[in-house]
Amino acid sequence: MKKSSKSIFLFLCIAPSFLLFLVFMIIPTFNIFRMSLYKWGGYSPDKTFVGLDNFIKLSKDMKFFQSFENTIFLIVAVSLVTFTMALVFAAILTRENLIGQNFFRVVFYIPNILSIVIISAIFSAILDSKNGLLNSILNIFRDKNAEPIYWLGDQKIVIYSIAMAMIWQAVGYYMVMYMASMASVPESVYESASLEGAGKIHQFFHLTIPLIWTNIRTTLTFFIISNINLSFTIVKAMTGGGPDGSTEVFLSYMYKQAYTNSSYGYGMAIGVVVFLFSFALSGIVSLVTKREPIEL
Amino acid sequence: MKKIIAMLLVGTMGITTLTGCGSTAAKEKEVTEGATDEIKEEAQSPAEEKAEEATDEATDVTIKVAAIETAYGVDMWTKVCEAFTAKTGIKVELTTDKSLEDVIGAQMKAGDYPDVVHLATGRPAALTETLIKENGLEDITDVLSMTVPGEEKNVSDKIAGGFTESSLTNPYNDGRTYMAPMFYSPCGLFYNSALFEEKGWSVPVTWDEMWELGEKAKAENIALFAYPTAGYFDAFFYALLYEAGGSEFFAKATNYEEGIWDSPEAVQVFDIIEKLSAYTEKSVPSNANNDNYLKNQQLILDNKALFMPNGTWVIGEMKDAPRADGFSWGFTALPAIADGKDAYSYTWFEQMWIPAAAENKDAAKQFVAYMYSDEAAGIFAAAGAVQPITGFADQLEGDNKLFYSIYDNGAKAALGSFAATDPVEGVNFADTVFGTVNSLVSGDKTKQEWIDSIKKDSDLLRAALK
Repeated sequence: MKKSSKSIFLFLCIAPSFLLFLVFMIIPTFNIFRMSLYKWGGYSPDKTFVGLDNFIKLSKDMKFFQSFENTIFLIVAVSLVTFTMALVFAAILTRENLIGQNFFRVVFYIPNILSIVIISAIFSAILDSKNGLLNSILNIFRDKNAEPIYWLGDQKIVIYSIAMAMIWQAVGYYMVMYMASMASVPESVYESASLEGAGKIHQFFHLTIPLIWTNIRTTLTFFIISNINLSFTIVKAMTGGGPDGSTEVFLSYMYKQAYTNSSYGYGMAIGVVVFLFSFALSGIVSLVTKREPIEL
Repeated sequence: MKKIIAMLLVGTMGITTLTGCGSTAAKEKEVTEGATDEIKEEAQSPAEEKAEEATDEATDVTIKVAAIETAYGVDMWTKVCEAFTAKTGIKVELTTDKSLEDVIGAQMKAGDYPDVVHLATGRPAALTETLIKENGLEDITDVLSMTVPGEEKNVSDKIAGGFTESSLTNPYNDGRTYMAPMFYSPCGLFYNSALFEEKGWSVPVTWDEMWELGEKAKAENIALFAYPTAGYFDAFFYALLYEAGGSEFFAKATNYEEGIWDSPEAVQVFDIIEKLSAYTEKSVPSNANNDNYLKNQQLILDNKALFMPNGTWVIGEMKDAPRADGFSWGFTALPAIADGKDAYSYTWFEQMWIPAAAENKDAAKQFVAYMYSDEAAGIFAAAGAVQPITGFADQLEGDNKLFYSIYDNGAKAALGSFAATDPVEGVNFADTVFGTVNSLVSGDKTKQEWIDSIKKDSDLLRAALK
């Protein structure tokens, strides 16, 4: 009797959030999978069931592969650079006694509270080929009459320009996350390590990183998800996927197909691929980074 | 006791979380029920209703009008709606927004349709195109034979010739009109006429003269050409098609006829655009997107480039921008292919349409008819929007007089666009044809690659023609 009333109680506790989760997460996700099997423009009542047709077309769509390539590049490059920079800055700001430490914390974190549209505007100004900050600085070292570098116009480098903006935006956020977990590592551990003769760099690799490993693992998943989402907003505001589709990413291509091209079902098929891809990638990353947590 | 309190608390939490959903659901139900009631009523007594229409509608009906907010502002819409209500007694519930698709799109997905929508084709969200492709527009051919509210004339007598004959109003090429032409604007090449006077250059009449001018300008470190975004090549490309082969060739090309892109006319068009891209300011592709295109337009104001393809709205768009001393807007049609051949200027216009799922179609049609009344056209013109009404352009003043008289000065009007097809997944023809110009300028693609992709997509679209 007691046991059953307890389970009723537990059920009631979970029910509201489960219901919301069901309505706002499970059902829409299921719907995306279902709609990816239809040819549908998005507004009319007539949907045609086409089976896996959308996926077959997708497998031959070169523009989709270009957006795939760009997304993977951004996930890898942005994550690696952001991860390294955030970790190093966090270690410096927590372990060292710098003058103006708090000032740096704020400065690094500011990009994160700016809206993406503002960040895009800032970077459009920095990367402007004529009066941009970056070209002006580079011109000190270059021939004055040389052709300027078209950061946002040259299709070979424009994706790096996008990556630059994304890294600048993300470093502060992850830095704060790493700092929080680094702060919880007891000082005594470092003290005894230095007594044993371990240098700063040795401490960083053999103490700091292993001790905040769980936190690092969590952020790796964040990197994947946020890069897929953020790249869409930044691309939309900075280049609109251009020039000529060279900065198209997963979600911007999905938007283009679902709306501009009136192929809602096809857009949803792209959504399914993105879903499975990010799920699989997060799974793999989580699997290969699995370690026994170190208890002190 | 504790457990009971806990249970009660959980219960309250659950209920409060769900109240939000509950009330909207209930409201929605009311709305849909209301709607079905109305439909039922309509179905029950169509004859009666028709008879009472004139009196009843005038007092009871409220139509929902959704209009895109553009450079012309919102004020003119508010005024026109008020004037319409005063004239007919039909009330208007107006929605305007810069990204109208985001506002009405979601409502339409939920089955709540506006009665009249003013939203042109060619926007990134492509709501209008989607409805064309999905047969979601109401046939408004009968509006053309309706009398303009408050006037004696028929709508078709007032709309200027040619405006209701292109695929922009008759998307299915079946002689039926689905979209009403609104606010037209001649498109062509804009330049700084003061600069031409200063340098003693004359505006080129043929493309050969254009290339000569390009060399002269290059010597002075001025680029011949710039464009806001590659999307602006639509009007340019269409006019060029007309120049190369006239209306017959245009119709074939825009209907993706087999082999059309290998014809000598098409080759001419591709050659001109390729050559033009070599004369284009090199920084243009960097800024050729929706957020930075003003920098490209600024090139003309700063005398860094000579010509840009644009529409008359550019004057308003750049009115606060800094400019070279003595700057004065000049406007010309595209140069002709050869001496003695026709020069064309594309006529861009917006569209107004009625969703097939609209509730108050009759009142909505009256609203569309009213758009061509002198009263409404006057209100629009005060904000700079010019209705395609016969003889209306003669009354314009200032800069607009110069622009709208382009067709009186020898240029021919080019009208139309690529034919509507069923959606073809992965094929965005505007991107293929116009977007690639960015790659031509930056040298990332060759002309042949461009033509090949146009042919490939053209084949796919031909099979999906409506």
